[in-house]
Amino acid sequence: MIIAEHLAKNFQVKVGKGIFREKKSIEAVKDISLQIEKGKIVGLLGINGAGKTTTIKMLTTLLAPSAGTYFMDDMDAVKYPMEIKKRINMIAGGERMIYWRLTAYENLWYYGQIYNVPNSILKQRIEELLALVGLEGKQNIPVETFSKGMKQRLQIARGLINDPEYLFLDEPTIGLDAVVSKELRSHIKFLAQEKNKGILLTSHYMREIEELCDYIYILNDGCLIKQGTARELAADTFNRRNYILKLYEQSDDILARLDHNLRQYDPTTEVSGDGDCISINSSENISLELSRLCTQEGLFIREMYEKEPELEDTIIKLSKEVSA
Amino acid sequence: MDFKVLRGTLKKELLTKYRAYPMDFFIGNVLTGFYTILGAYMMYKLLFERNMNSSFANLTGTSDYLSYVLVGSLTYLFLVRTCLNVSRSLITELREGTLESLMLAPFRRVEYFLGNMLVQTLTTTMEVMISVLVAIPFGISFQYIHIGSFLLAIVVALYSFFGISMVLGCVMLFTRDTYISQNTLFAFVFLVCGITFPSEYLPAWLRTIADFIPITGVVTLIRNSVLLGKGISEQSTIWINTLLISTVYVLIGFILMQKCEEVALEKIHS
Ligand SMILES: Nc1ncnc2c1ncn2[C@@H]1O[C@H](COP(=O)(O)OP(=O)(O)O)[C@@H](O)[C@H]1O
Ligand SMILES: [Mg+2]
Repeated sequence: MIIAEHLAKNFQVKVGKGIFREKKSIEAVKDISLQIEKGKIVGLLGINGAGKTTTIKMLTTLLAPSAGTYFMDDMDAVKYPMEIKKRINMIAGGERMIYWRLTAYENLWYYGQIYNVPNSILKQRIEELLALVGLEGKQNIPVETFSKGMKQRLQIARGLINDPEYLFLDEPTIGLDAVVSKELRSHIKFLAQEKNKGILLTSHYMREIEELCDYIYILNDGCLIKQGTARELAADTFNRRNYILKLYEQSDDILARLDHNLRQYDPTTEVSGDGDCISINSSENISLELSRLCTQEGLFIREMYEKEPELEDTIIKLSKEVSA
Repeated sequence: MDFKVLRGTLKKELLTKYRAYPMDFFIGNVLTGFYTILGAYMMYKLLFERNMNSSFANLTGTSDYLSYVLVGSLTYLFLVRTCLNVSRSLITELREGTLESLMLAPFRRVEYFLGNMLVQTLTTTMEVMISVLVAIPFGISFQYIHIGSFLLAIVVALYSFFGISMVLGCVMLFTRDTYISQNTLFAFVFLVCGITFPSEYLPAWLRTIADFIPITGVVTLIRNSVLLGKGISEQSTIWINTLLISTVYVLIGFILMQKCEEVALEKIHS
């Protein structure tokens, strides 16, 4: 099991131009504690810049934490990075982390060498991995001719070349089309459930995290703002409904009346004005009540629709709750 | 030790560098050899042929300036090639997006750098051998060569090139610059380390600096064994000094490299 507590990371950067550059410290990660169990998929959800990649890089020993502790199966991971490296691997979204001038087979062979995989088992492992990611027929073609999806699949094979106990995936489906993403998600499930790997997955897609993860951490501005099992978060965070309502006239008084009346159906409902729209957030389907209420109050509806919840909105809402 | 990382890196480098254009590579080799010799010959013709004075012969023990400058140029070529490959290895990984996946792995850096070095040693040896063939009609002479001493000089040369490459590699990775650092170093070595003229002609302070660059010793050792036929025991102080200075470079290189790797990883930011 991985146990990380109060991890923080500051970057020293220089701002300004020329010789008069000032040093500045950026707190990319402020305080993150998390646990990863073997056979389970843990999700790290956050918008761009929340600190997901920095967290993953600390957990994969690429960056030394500025503060905090990190243990892997009772071994101090900050002290013994070389031991940790043998037991983990990482896969990032995008087309990096493989050699474009080598073939798929040569890539896996080279990574096999630097991970010291015994040559007696390396050949078979490469063949299995190529089959797993569906690149069997393409193994002798240089990677530069591969499509984005193929490169990404090769990267997954690379991430498994040392048969890691823990696997870190940083936005692995970014830039992939729907079909390939879906395939990838089923691979990830397979690795946790059938191969008993502990997996940490970051994403800014709520649905992806919700679908895959057993336990979820929501990250904003370098801090955890919410955590729980997928089921817990589904009920009070992910599965809330958003409605946008536009009226011919709008006032604070109208907002207050809507708020008051809708809370009779669902006490968690929130009504807020946003320019010429009214946005309504509820845990239940209240579309019928909403339109009935408008008729009853004599309000003319110009437009009304339900909106798929966006991560940004959810995060804003959660951070308000945290600071309140 | 089974040298897996060394052999793996050697193969990877050979494949990435030379598979795509083996013919260009071969022609490039021949041309480099040719230009190096031509450059040395022109320098001889234009600058030194008629101005040769007795102090040169006193300082170097030979009046065969043409052979002197040819051997110097080939040694310099060898250094430049090695640095180009070994120093740039990690920054190339950085630019191609493989530094992080490489650093995720628990491998021995020594083997990685030696693998890179060996690729270059193999290919540059070819270049230099071609150059030597080209140089024969220009009048290079091997009649006095001391083979044992020469072979040892090559080993010491490779060791010192490796040390210099490691230090230059640190500078490159730290500054993320491959152009200014490399060319400054090459120009400096060319001017002060006795590549085309004895460093004794330099002002004293430059000579002191030259003494701390192992190339000065390396080029002297190679010349002494090839042109003057000096044996191993005759030049023991130069051997020992050169080895010691090179070792300092190797050590500084490896110690700094760890720090520079960390800095490079901290700066990766997409
Ligand atoms: N190497 C770096 N140097 C300076 N700032 C960085 C670096 N990496 C990340 N940051 C900053 O830290 C914050 C978190 O970044 P990151 O971990 O990449 O977030 P995410 O992966 O969630 O998008 C951002 O504000 C980002 O600009
Ligand atoms: Mg990121």
